[in-house]
Amino acid sequence: MGLDIRIPLGLIFLAIGGIMTLFGIATHGDAALYERSMGVNLNLAWGIVMFAFGAIMFFIGRRQKWQDDPVNPRPWETKAKAKPRH
Amino acid sequence: MTLTYIDWLIMLVYFAFVLGIGFALKRYMRTSNDFFLAGRSIPAWVCGLAFISANLGAQEVIGMGASGAKYGILTSHFYWIGAIPAMCFVGIFMMPFYYGSKARSVPEYLRLRFDEKTRALNAFSFAFMTIFSSGISMYAMALLIQRLGLFHGIVPDAYVFHVSIVLSAVIVLGYIFLGGLTSAIYNEVLQFFLIVAGFLPLVWIGLRNVGGWSGIRHTLPATMTQSWHGMAHASTNTLGVEWVGLTMGLGFVLSFGYWCTDFLVVQRAMAADSELSARRVPLIAAIPKMFFPFLVILPGLIAVSIGSHASATAAGTPTAAVMPLDQQHPHGIIPQKIDPITAQPVLDANGVPVYDYDLAIPTMLLHFFPTGMLGLGLTALLASFMSGMAGNVTAFNTVWTYDIYQAYINKRASDAHYLWMGRMATIGGIVLSIGAAYLATSFNNIMDALQLVFAFVNAPLFATFLLGMFWKRTTGHGAFSGLVAGTFGALVHHGLTIPAGYAPGIHGGWLNIVHTYPSDMAQNFWTAIFAFTINLLVTVGVSIASEPRPEPELVGLVYSLTPKPVEEHLEWYQKPATLALAVLGMLVILNLVFA
Repeated sequence: MGLDIRIPLGLIFLAIGGIMTLFGIATHGDAALYERSMGVNLNLAWGIVMFAFGAIMFFIGRRQKWQDDPVNPRPWETKAKAKPRH
Repeated sequence: MTLTYIDWLIMLVYFAFVLGIGFALKRYMRTSNDFFLAGRSIPAWVCGLAFISANLGAQEVIGMGASGAKYGILTSHFYWIGAIPAMCFVGIFMMPFYYGSKARSVPEYLRLRFDEKTRALNAFSFAFMTIFSSGISMYAMALLIQRLGLFHGIVPDAYVFHVSIVLSAVIVLGYIFLGGLTSAIYNEVLQFFLIVAGFLPLVWIGLRNVGGWSGIRHTLPATMTQSWHGMAHASTNTLGVEWVGLTMGLGFVLSFGYWCTDFLVVQRAMAADSELSARRVPLIAAIPKMFFPFLVILPGLIAVSIGSHASATAAGTPTAAVMPLDQQHPHGIIPQKIDPITAQPVLDANGVPVYDYDLAIPTMLLHFFPTGMLGLGLTALLASFMSGMAGNVTAFNTVWTYDIYQAYINKRASDAHYLWMGRMATIGGIVLSIGAAYLATSFNNIMDALQLVFAFVNAPLFATFLLGMFWKRTTGHGAFSGLVAGTFGALVHHGLTIPAGYAPGIHGGWLNIVHTYPSDMAQNFWTAIFAFTINLLVTVGVSIASEPRPEPELVGLVYSLTPKPVEEHLEWYQKPATLALAVLGMLVILNLVFA
C-alpha cells in the first residue's frame, strides 16, 4: 500500500506529544494539578518522550517515498506513466 | 468527571487521524482484493501489531483489568498459556496453508479443503460471532462513557448511551468504508502504540504509589500475585479451575481454536506481503502480547492494592471462610457497583456490597492522571474499543461478501460489484452490531460471555482444522458432521452443568443439572474440551466411513502432500522456527518469574 504507516504514526505522536509538552510547560509548578500524579509533571515528561518517538517514526517513514504498490501495477497506470503529461 | 479543553483536543487529534487514514487510503481501494485483503502488500511487523490490536478490544482492556483486580496475576494465563503457544503454532504450521492456498478467507479454505456445506456452516456462525463481538465492544464503550460522565453537560444524560453508540459506529464505519482492511490495520497499529503510550505511565505511577511489585506482594494474598499458586485444585485458586482444565481447556482448545482458526486475526496475517511474512506475523505479535499483562492486568492489581495495607484483616475475619475466594482481598479504589435504576449500591445475597471490577482501569486513569495525560489515557481506551469493533467489522464484510454473497447469492458479478458489496456489508455489519450492543446488556462480565460464545463456535472448530490440515484422510462429510456434533455437544454440556452459585438459565443447567463446576470459568473450559473431543471423534469416524478425496486435489491444503516452505536462503536466525523458539523460551521465563 502506498502510504507508509510510520508517517501518520509519527505525525499523531508529534501532535499529541507536542500538545502535552506545551501544556506541561505552561502548567509547570502547578502543584494542585500534579497532586494526582504524585508531584510528577506527567504532561511534560511523557509529552517529550512521545514527541521524540513521533519524530523518529516520521523520519524513518519519510525516507521511504510514497509509492504505488510495485507488485501489482495496473495496465492503465503503466500506460499513463509512459505518456508525457501536459 | 470534568474534562478540560486540552483533553478534548487530544481526543480530537486522534479522531482526525483515524478518519484521515481512511481518506488517505481511499485512492488505493480499486479492487476487492485491495479492500478485503489490503492487496496482500503489508509488511510483517505492521500485520503483527494489527494481529494483536484487533484482539485488543473492550473485552481485553476492561475485562483483563477487571479480572486482574478480581483474580490477580492468574489472569495473565489468558495471555501466556491462552495465546502464545497457539500463536507460535499458527505461524509455523498453519500459515503456509492459509496463505499458500490463496484462499481469501478462513471459510474459503474450508471449501477448498472440504466442501461447500462445511464452508457455509463456518461462514454463517463466524458472521454471527463477529457481529456479536463488535456489538459488545460498542456496548462496553457506550456504558463506560455513560458511567464516566464523559459527555456530561454536552449531551443530556438520558441520551449519552445512544449518542456514544452512534458516534463510535459512524467513526468506525467511516474509516473502514473508505480504506477497507488496510485502513483497519493501520488504525490498529496507531491504537497499539496509543495503548502503550497511555498505559505505561499509568503502570509506572501506580507502582510508585503502592511501593512497586514487592509492595503489591506484601498487600495482596499469595493467590493473587503468583500465577501458578493453588492451581493443583479448583478450590484453592481464585479462578476456580484446576491445572488440567486450564491447560487443556484454555491453553489448548479455546486458545488454538481462537488464534489458529478465527478469521478476525488470521485475516491480518493473510494481508502480509509474502508467505514468509505471513508466517512471521503471529510470531512478531506474540512478543508484545507476552508483555501486555503488565499493561492491562497490572493496573487492576494496583487498583486493589492502593490504600489497603491490611491483607491480614480479610484473612483473619471469621467470615473469610464463607466468602468466595475472590472476595477475600482488599478492594483498594474499586468503586461499589451502583444499580443504574435505583442509584443504590448493589448488595449480594449476604448483604455484602458488590464491587464493580469493570471500572478498575478507568478508575485508575481518573485517580492518577492529571488533565492532559487524562485525555491521552481516555484516547487509548476509546481507541481499543474502536479497533475491537473494526477488527470484527472487516472480518464480517469479507466473509459476507466472499463466502455468503459471492458463494450463494450472486456468483458471477464483476469485481467492482463485490467491492461495492463490501462497502455495503460494512454498513450492514455496523447496523447489526448496534442491534447486538442493545442485546448485550443482559451479560454481567463481558469476558465470560465472550468465552461462552467462543466455546460453542470455536472450540469444536480447531479439531476440524487440525484433522483437515494434518490428516489427508479427513473428508468433507466428516468435517461437517464433526462440527455440528461438536457445537451440539457444547450446547448439551452447557445445558447439563452449572457453575456453583448460579440459578439454572443463561449460566447453564437449563436441561438438567448433572454436574456443578466450582466457577463459570471452569464450566467454559470444560465445555470447550467436550466440544473439541466430540468433534474429533465424530470427524474421524465419519471420515473413515466416507469416500476420501483424490490426493492430487489436496496438494497445498494438507501437510503431508504439500512441499515444505523453502527456507534455504534464510540464515538460521531469520527462520520463523527460530523466532518461535525464542518466543516460547521467553514464555517459560515469564512463567517461572511469576510462578
